Amino acid sequence: MLIDADRSTCVVSSLCVYRAPGVFDQDEDGHVVVVDHEPAPELHESVRRAVRGCPTQSIRITEDD
Amino acid sequence: MSLSKPVSYPFPWTPPLEIPEQWRHLRQQPILEVCLPSGDTALLVTRCADVKALFSDTRLSRNTARHPDSARISANNQLFGDANIDSDPPRYLAERSVVTRAFTARRIESLRPKVWEIANDLMDQLAAGPRPADLVSAYAFPLPIRVICHLLGVPTRDRDKFVGMVNGFMSITRLPAEEVESCRTGLSTYLTELIEAKRDHPGEDLTSHLVRISDEDQNTLSAYQLRHWVQTLLIAGYVTTATQIGVSMAMLLHRPHIVKEIQADLSLVPSAVEELMRYQVMGSSIGSLRYALEDIELSDGSVVPKGATVMLSVESNMDESVFPDPYTIDIRRKENNHLSFGSGIHYCAGAALARMELQVTYEGLLTRLPNLTLAVPGAQLRRAEGGFINGFTEVPVQW
Repeated sequence: MLIDADRSTCVVSSLCVYRAPGVFDQDEDGHVVVVDHEPAPELHESVRRAVRGCPTQSIRITEDD
Repeated sequence: MSLSKPVSYPFPWTPPLEIPEQWRHLRQQPILEVCLPSGDTALLVTRCADVKALFSDTRLSRNTARHPDSARISANNQLFGDANIDSDPPRYLAERSVVTRAFTARRIESLRPKVWEIANDLMDQLAAGPRPADLVSAYAFPLPIRVICHLLGVPTRDRDKFVGMVNGFMSITRLPAEEVESCRTGLSTYLTELIEAKRDHPGEDLTSHLVRISDEDQNTLSAYQLRHWVQTLLIAGYVTTATQIGVSMAMLLHRPHIVKEIQADLSLVPSAVEELMRYQVMGSSIGSLRYALEDIELSDGSVVPKGATVMLSVESNMDESVFPDPYTIDIRRKENNHLSFGSGIHYCAGAALARMELQVTYEGLLTRLPNLTLAVPGAQLRRAEGGFINGFTEVPVQW
């Protein structure tokens, strides 16, 4: 799994940080920062939940084949 | 549109702790014509997928006050509508980002001990006082008021000054026009004085921060916009959370088996907060009013016509295709992307703060007062009708 996030569309809901804390963080303004671009498999489901919860669909994931 | 008279909106919550019957049938049609308290007609978009998509659709404008043909919620109160404030991008996003930096997860978590301190103080007073007690006046309102006053640097003693005016500010049919106007003017004067006081004696609070930004650059935040945002933060900062505490605690206490489940496993508190957010949405969708700048086609091909006033249905939290068994309160619900905080660029800026306050509240009240129950039958609780948000006026509790 590869993760990418778009800071420019982030509206600081903070949902991703709460749903997948080791994977997402926020900069000083609260905009999303991906700290783990290739998370371990046991984190994948929480990352998917963060993606589905994001109010502006600012997180993109590419799943492994 | 249909030839029959539009149905009156919001739908009444009778009995007070059960989802209104109308909610069950809403999604049979993708768009429902409704009559607002003003007498104007709006279109309620009912299905979760459409609602979610429209929250992010720039063909819907939040600037309803700038469109003279837009439906009004109230006949005598413009509520949060203000033609001098631009609530659409790009202007809205620039202003919003000035505010949201105070609501990052890190800043909210650093506030959690303070919220516990306030909650413990209120619970001490509640526990030492007479029984039964009213949870709304003893806890549900004081907690978020003290938290938002702390955040905005507002003296808590000013509460008596602004609470009455805020209630008037949010009247839909409750008060006559002249009283609404006097509350709105009074609140505006109060906020101007608060901002002046912060300008003279700045602190570490959010109001001082916003005053500084406005004074440095009027293009980022004009004096008018500054007052608008402080007003929005103050009102949205406590009325919504207070109402959700009162009504959701009543919902919980009316279902003692759920209370026991939470008490047995406190790790369920965050998902219980989410589920009560989904289930108890403080009454209605009137806060989502938008104006269609163009024709907008929905997922099934039906069309929201240009010039229509639209509401994005929070009742879509009951959409069976998204939330299995939606009328059951399931505090272990895994996937709970409810729309109670909205979606898209207007997603509630205070959502993380509200969640944290509700988490502290459920855990605090249910452990500190383990035998807490409603002191009256749930059916006897009364909603405060005729306002923007219709919570219970009182929630009598016993322990």
